Amino acid sequence: MIVLKNLTKKFGQFTAVDSVNLEIGTGEFFGLLGLNGAGKTTTISMLSTLLLPTQGEIYIDGELLTRKKTALKRKISVITQEYSMRQDMDMDEIMEYQGRLYYMPKKEIQRKSEELLEFCGLTSARKKTVRKLSGGMKRKLMVCRALLTGPEILLLDEPTAGMDAVSRRQMWDLLKQLNGKNLTILLTTHYMEEAESLCGRVAMMAHGKIEEIDTPRNFIHGLGQFAVDETAGGKTLAHYFSTKEEALAFAAHTDSSIRLRDTTLEDVFVERAKYGGK
Amino acid sequence: MGIITILWEKWVEFRRDFYKITLAAMIAPLMYLLVFGMGIQTVSHGVPYLHYLIPGVVSLTTMNGSFNAVAQNLNVQRLYEKAFDQVMVSPTPLWQFMAGQVVAGSLRGLYAGGIILLLVWPIHTGLIFNGFSFLVLFLNGAVFSALGVVVSFLARSHADVPRFSNYLIMPMAFLCNTFFSTDNMPKGIRNVVGVLPLSETSGMVRHIAYGESWDPSGILVLLAYLLLLAAIGLWFVYRKQNL
Repeated sequence: MIVLKNLTKKFGQFTAVDSVNLEIGTGEFFGLLGLNGAGKTTTISMLSTLLLPTQGEIYIDGELLTRKKTALKRKISVITQEYSMRQDMDMDEIMEYQGRLYYMPKKEIQRKSEELLEFCGLTSARKKTVRKLSGGMKRKLMVCRALLTGPEILLLDEPTAGMDAVSRRQMWDLLKQLNGKNLTILLTTHYMEEAESLCGRVAMMAHGKIEEIDTPRNFIHGLGQFAVDETAGGKTLAHYFSTKEEALAFAAHTDSSIRLRDTTLEDVFVERAKYGGK
Repeated sequence: MGIITILWEKWVEFRRDFYKITLAAMIAPLMYLLVFGMGIQTVSHGVPYLHYLIPGVVSLTTMNGSFNAVAQNLNVQRLYEKAFDQVMVSPTPLWQFMAGQVVAGSLRGLYAGGIILLLVWPIHTGLIFNGFSFLVLFLNGAVFSALGVVVSFLARSHADVPRFSNYLIMPMAFLCNTFFSTDNMPKGIRNVVGVLPLSETSGMVRHIAYGESWDPSGILVLLAYLLLLAAIGLWFVYRKQNL
């Protein structure tokens, strides 16, 4: 279980994360959503001890997380937003370095690396140095590296950014499988479709604070399950309704071009952003 | 042990860039020896100047080799590649990471110094380089590797490391008992320069090379520098809010 208590991070006068309280259960798939600068990456950076909190604490399975707690750090793997890898190492070396940093036996490193690189379709490029890989390949390699050590908690900071649609779907399947094996996952993403498909609960963050936590389904129901897109004068305006009948009734009384569809988490996110929160 | 992991990482880097590292380690010291030691032939302190110069140049080469192996590399890993994040997040104790950097940097310094010794070998100078010389050179490398770690954490941009090198490492290379004795300096300056780590190293290595008795208290001075810089480095990795 991950518990954030009054977690705050300030950079000079700027408060990036403001008194965040959050509990994420073991085996939960949790999403942190928010506009750029909402404090998602800073929160993940504190969870991975890259940044130290200005105030507040992080507890993992009831134990306070610090840079010295190697046993706790062993449970965590991180996929950072940026490509955090040595550019002059090839894939095998990247994997071996990670395995060594986590005290894995060499044979296990080799066996698991084979499996993971094969699964992600990277085997043919394994002798290429990181600087020669495409953005998507680098992302996949970071995923392989994070999974190599058999973590209990996976922190994912926009893990599918830069991936093509097929690779992204593969990644979703993999994350679902891992979550099915009781892996706790904390995800930040700008792809709302991703959060909707994967996360059991999501938190909406803005200006460093968590504004609301709920399931994607409840967020969507709160706005209205059915959406009607009304296009007029080059602009599209979405209207939300609780029932299909209400949506159809609205559609019948308008002369504009319309489209009836299901409401998505992205609609919720956009509406909240439009009105500065709830 | 995390130290072995860091040594492995540095070995991968060394193996890949072997020719670049070797050539870079040779050029400047070889120029010093050719120009000042062989081109301008003179006598200093009763011996050919080249004999005076070799221990100093070997010492400064270990300093440069160690500092550059750690400072520039770690700075790039921290600010540009972000590969240092991988270490910070991992369960490898950060003191072991630090110790690994210091040992690996010292070995790189020793390698650079060893190349110079091999190059001057055919000259038959009669200078003695024994186990004590290498111990002193290793410690010198350790001090400057630890300084490299600290500088890489202080640096806010890629240009900061070369800048720091210009302000501190280069003046030391010329002034610290390498090309001339610190005894020739005005008293106030001599007192300051005399206690710098490279001055101690050059002095000890030169005395050993001449077969003279030498003061092992210089080793304590080097150890004191090493402990101080290691403590600062550990403060950075464990206590600094935003690395």
